[in-house]
Amino acid sequence: MFKKAAAWAIDRFGIDTFYQSLLNRRVPKAPWYSGDGSTLMALLGIQVITGCVLALTYSPSTDSAYQSVVYITDQMFLGWFIRGLHYWSAGAMMIMVVFHLLRQIVLGGYKSPREGTWLIGVPLFFGVLFLAYTGYLLRWDERSIYGIRVMLQILGRVPLVGDSLVLFAQGGPSIGPATLSRLYAFHVLVIPLLMFALVGFHLYLIVLKGTMTKGERSTPIDSVSQQREIYKSEADSEEKGETFFPFTMIKTGSMAAIVICLTLSATVLLGPSKLYSEANFTEPSMPAEEWWYWWLSGLIALLPPSIAPSAVVLLPIAVLVFLLALPFLDRSQHRGARNRPLWILFVVAIVAAILLLTDYRRRSNFTAWPDAKLPELPAGMTLPPEAEQGRITFARYGCNSCHAVGKADASFAVDFALLRGQLSREKIREYILNPPAGIAMPSYEGRMTEEQLNAVVAFCHVVQTFPLED
Amino acid sequence: MDNRRNWAIRVLALSGAVVSFAIGIPALLAAFSASIQGRKKHAWRTVGVADDFKHGQITPAEVSTDRADWSKTLDRLTVFVWRQTDSRFVVFSRSCTDLSCPITFDPGSECFFCPCHGGIFAKNGTPLAGPPKRPLYRYATKLRDGKLEIDLHSLPPAY
Repeated sequence: MFKKAAAWAIDRFGIDTFYQSLLNRRVPKAPWYSGDGSTLMALLGIQVITGCVLALTYSPSTDSAYQSVVYITDQMFLGWFIRGLHYWSAGAMMIMVVFHLLRQIVLGGYKSPREGTWLIGVPLFFGVLFLAYTGYLLRWDERSIYGIRVMLQILGRVPLVGDSLVLFAQGGPSIGPATLSRLYAFHVLVIPLLMFALVGFHLYLIVLKGTMTKGERSTPIDSVSQQREIYKSEADSEEKGETFFPFTMIKTGSMAAIVICLTLSATVLLGPSKLYSEANFTEPSMPAEEWWYWWLSGLIALLPPSIAPSAVVLLPIAVLVFLLALPFLDRSQHRGARNRPLWILFVVAIVAAILLLTDYRRRSNFTAWPDAKLPELPAGMTLPPEAEQGRITFARYGCNSCHAVGKADASFAVDFALLRGQLSREKIREYILNPPAGIAMPSYEGRMTEEQLNAVVAFCHVVQTFPLED
Repeated sequence: MDNRRNWAIRVLALSGAVVSFAIGIPALLAAFSASIQGRKKHAWRTVGVADDFKHGQITPAEVSTDRADWSKTLDRLTVFVWRQTDSRFVVFSRSCTDLSCPITFDPGSECFFCPCHGGIFAKNGTPLAGPPKRPLYRYATKLRDGKLEIDLHSLPPAY
């Protein structure tokens, strides 16, 4: 009785055709480490599910967006978990999508007949980046609003259409309610719809054309028919092929399982990302970009100032054009990492550059910042009265915004403790009144009384004897 | 018959094109409505009573923004007012000229600091250090009935 019901369901819902053409198909054996695509699919699924749950409560109105995120994080049952999982899966997806891209470059996975798969994959790559960017902005905290302003500045630099692009991105003459509405619309509707269509197409082409096989890597290939022959012989053979379900799936699924475990652990151990104060245009703020942009900030910082502003616009376009052109630029007959040492070098160089630039940004002490606190004295030290007066004046005139005292290389401008007695009082005094041209220090001529100037000079002179903090 | 087939294909293609354009073109135009409708030429906002600002000093002040009036938040914006003479005012935008981070003014050093990448500007807006290469943006100003006003639309939309 149950068997009859099952047979009816299988027929009416077309399950058998699905099973035969997709799950039960023979493919060449996949290696254990080829699960990057499946991992991305799994992560996308997690993002859709957690995203839908978040959307049940999130309010995409500028008046209430931030409060709804606070509510989700602090009060909604398991809200912190869903929000955290959404955040960490986004990070995992960024890493995996770069890994997936670089792996295909090393293998030559874009070679015939898989150019179509690759060309669909490139917009998918940018789609993931765009989703990560817009999703972060939906929090509508300080970081989000300045993240938007940076993008608007960059858009505004595009020649001819810059201002129109800014107005489109803002949804009006300035950042306002329509800005958040369109960020939400892109993040939740437009990009996901496009992604689903492209992912479906991508998967269709993967089933149709297969993925890179061991046989294809063992010999140079100069025609599509040769590739097809190699592929078919492997798929049909007993030792070189397998059925997709369950044997390939168990291998590709293992990487997905590991990455999902890591994301879940990060969510439970570290929770969702920190929420800053609500977006506004009046309070002082110290914005900073998220870790996945650090390599880009580092790169822009290193470029000469004449090309840096255009580079911000041109670099993503150049990457897009390069990626789309790759199957047509690389005409070599070799596939597989072992046969493509130059491409391995290229990918290693890219990864090294990203890691080094990220670390450069992480280490950089970019900021000079006004600070009314008096500079600290070494333990147990008391200054003579004139130098102590100088210490107070030092803070009052903002000298400690740029000059640290006794902190060994932690400041933007020179830390006097580093000078070790090189400067005489006269030299210090002259510098304060007449800083050399081309440096950031303002002149204090006419702004301090003679008494204040002597006091500050006395203080700076004494600082040169301070022990340096390690 | 081939003719009939060709005719049927042409009808399908033509009707498909008509429907796509009839729906797609308005959709695209509406999507870009903000760019098409553009901004009003001017958006004058009152900063404050002119005599409230001390000569020679930089004072932060708030103006109301020009965001759509069907929402409540993001309605105030900080600007920096520098009164040079009785009737000459300079009002700086809060946007750093590098990447639009919010600068702050330090009265002690009389410099503007940007928190993002260490940009420093002098009191008159000249960049002194860090990535910014352009001087601080200045709004168009006018005095009306003893009140200082600025035109928010005197700067490009991203600033």
